[in-house]
Amino acid sequence: MSIRSKILAIVTLLAIVGLDVTACNSGTSQETGQGVTYKIGFNSSATGASASLGLPEAKTAEMIQKQINDQGGITGPDGVKHDVKIVIYDDESVADNAVSNVTRLIQEDEAVAVVSTTGSGTTIAHIPVCEENETPCISMASAQPITVNADTGETYRWMFKTPQTNGHAGEWQAAYLKATGVSSVCILYTDDGYGKDCLANFKATAEAAGLEIVYEGAYATSDTEFSAQIAQVQASGCQAVEVGSTPPVASLATVAVHTALPEIPITLGHGVCNQAFIDTAGAAANGTVFPCGKITVLDQVADSDPQKTVLQKYIDDYTAFTNGEPISTFGGHAWDAVEMTLNALESLNDGMSLEEQRTAVRDYLENQIQGWPGIGGVFTMSPADHNGLTKESLLFVTVEDGRWVAFPESEW
Amino acid sequence: MRQFFRGKIGKIVLATGLVFAAIALCVWLGSRQRLLPQHYVQLTLDGMRGGSIYALMALGFVVVYRVTGVINFAQGEFVMLGAMLCLTIHKLPLPLPPALKLIVAIIAAIVLATLIGAAVERLTIHPARRSPPVTLTIITVGVTITLRAGALLAWGADPYVLPAFSTLALEDHIFRFGSVILQAQTLWIWGTLIVVLVLLYFFLEHTIMGKALRACAVNQRGAQLVGINPGRMSMLSFALAAALGAIGGIVLGPVTRPIYDMGLMLGLKGFVAAIMGGLVSVPGAVVGGLLLGVTENLAAGVTNPTYKSVFAFVILIAILLFRPQGILGGTGQATEEVK
Repeated sequence: MSIRSKILAIVTLLAIVGLDVTACNSGTSQETGQGVTYKIGFNSSATGASASLGLPEAKTAEMIQKQINDQGGITGPDGVKHDVKIVIYDDESVADNAVSNVTRLIQEDEAVAVVSTTGSGTTIAHIPVCEENETPCISMASAQPITVNADTGETYRWMFKTPQTNGHAGEWQAAYLKATGVSSVCILYTDDGYGKDCLANFKATAEAAGLEIVYEGAYATSDTEFSAQIAQVQASGCQAVEVGSTPPVASLATVAVHTALPEIPITLGHGVCNQAFIDTAGAAANGTVFPCGKITVLDQVADSDPQKTVLQKYIDDYTAFTNGEPISTFGGHAWDAVEMTLNALESLNDGMSLEEQRTAVRDYLENQIQGWPGIGGVFTMSPADHNGLTKESLLFVTVEDGRWVAFPESEW
Repeated sequence: MRQFFRGKIGKIVLATGLVFAAIALCVWLGSRQRLLPQHYVQLTLDGMRGGSIYALMALGFVVVYRVTGVINFAQGEFVMLGAMLCLTIHKLPLPLPPALKLIVAIIAAIVLATLIGAAVERLTIHPARRSPPVTLTIITVGVTITLRAGALLAWGADPYVLPAFSTLALEDHIFRFGSVILQAQTLWIWGTLIVVLVLLYFFLEHTIMGKALRACAVNQRGAQLVGINPGRMSMLSFALAAALGAIGGIVLGPVTRPIYDMGLMLGLKGFVAAIMGGLVSVPGAVVGGLLLGVTENLAAGVTNPTYKSVFAFVILIAILLFRPQGILGGTGQATEEVK
């Protein structure tokens, strides 16, 4: 019995040590005798509930660190070379950890800017830390309240975000439905954060476009029967259905709507821009329309698109760095955030205090990110818009014979 | 008055009254949603499909509870394992005709899940068999988390596809009666439930092993005295529960898109169904499952579908408060029988 407990203790100890070794992931900082080393804080949800989003983000940050090291740092306008160190933390998809990680990055690691974090809720939790410490923070999550104070309607001074939003998706959906002569719409959505954000944004844009929402029906991610929602869709007599979900339940809802009402047009959000949707919805996916981030449908992006070369390079780099792991749109959000920060750092002269650096980076992000082609779109930030994207950042597609095809406005 | 409702006739009157009141409420709410008669038929049919799966789950709960006194919360994970193992084996490049390949995959998945069920009992319940049932029940919660995490490692977070039995493809045959829709897979699910019930009846009533299992459920001490090993019966009950769960997962597979965490909600709903049946009765579990499926789907259809699962858990609380012996159980003694 005592041997058993000893072994158990050793195993536990090993597990803890092993975890620490992987979690710390400390890089080496070499003194070059040049300018100061800039630190960029990076916090994502590499483990926990949002791990499938946060892990490619963390890997993208590691990849950029390696690229900067390989090219020997960055050079300011005064010709002084600076090393850049990206300090990477994992908040385990927990809001408390996001707050303490960002606090640590700002106060102890003295990061000039912080990229954080994967989820909308976890980002919103650490907004006060960025604002009070006057440090620019760029989020990789999309919710409206990340950059705009929900109470005052004012844009936060220090908060930025890189993803396309459900508002951009809603503009596409509403424009398409309007163009095809639809006047009344039903919306089905998952009762989770994504689904509710879809509902709010779709409703706002659809009603602004003069469409009438005649039915709103929610379901759980685990639901398999949709007859309750379908019955109410039929009773409401709407002309089109919007489905705000991610697979697999998005596929099941699409199949259910398509089976009961084979003729009705179905629009979806950019949460279904993955192979899993087409694989699990089968023939019901054909004819559905939805906007997608260009990284997910690169083969449909025109060569003349300003993002094309950036997208292609990121995909090649990431594939090589991770030995062929699948490309994720979330890694792209991280790339945009870190690269923007690097651009800002490259504009700094040597000899500034940390406070001056932080203010300069913030001002650069707000005023100098103009027509900046990234992964999420072509960014044009302004004091009122700390996201800088328009609906053109998404590509509108339809599904034909089990593959997505660009579906530009001229073909509607 | 109170005396009247305790008598047999009084109870029947009360039950009939409640049923009529529920139907009237349902129709009244439905008319406010502008529902047509075919919608009620559709809601009921779909509810019976979900209910059949709940029934299979509830049978698993009952089998384990009667023999061991443990509420096996890992039941939902057996459903997930059944679906996941089946589609994984089906994807193997075996040189077989498609129909035969699916049959092989189904049988292999059931056998594997059964072995996993037996292994779970040997590795987690058996070493702690002298602990009270509450401890063992909590162990099954741990098993649930372990199995789900294992599934996440093995299959990732992506949803998968299991082909429909009739077409061997993603798209199923669909029968249309006016605007009422019936998928062929729904018939497979109902057929499976009936076959399983017949087999279970035969096993429990007409085989030595089944009789031993029942003996153990009725009186463990007595069963031991006539030479039945309760440890082995405990293992058998987990294996049987795993097989029932896996069968449920496999027939449900084509109408859902199997994913590593699908067992969570199914397990809870199956538990509600088992409670509705009084936790000890096989017919009770089946009636409980079907009734739960139909009730929650109808209730969702005539009110707001957002609260679909809420109805299931309201039923759970109501049953535990007012009829802990289940809807079919005559008196309060059924639940005491095990101890």
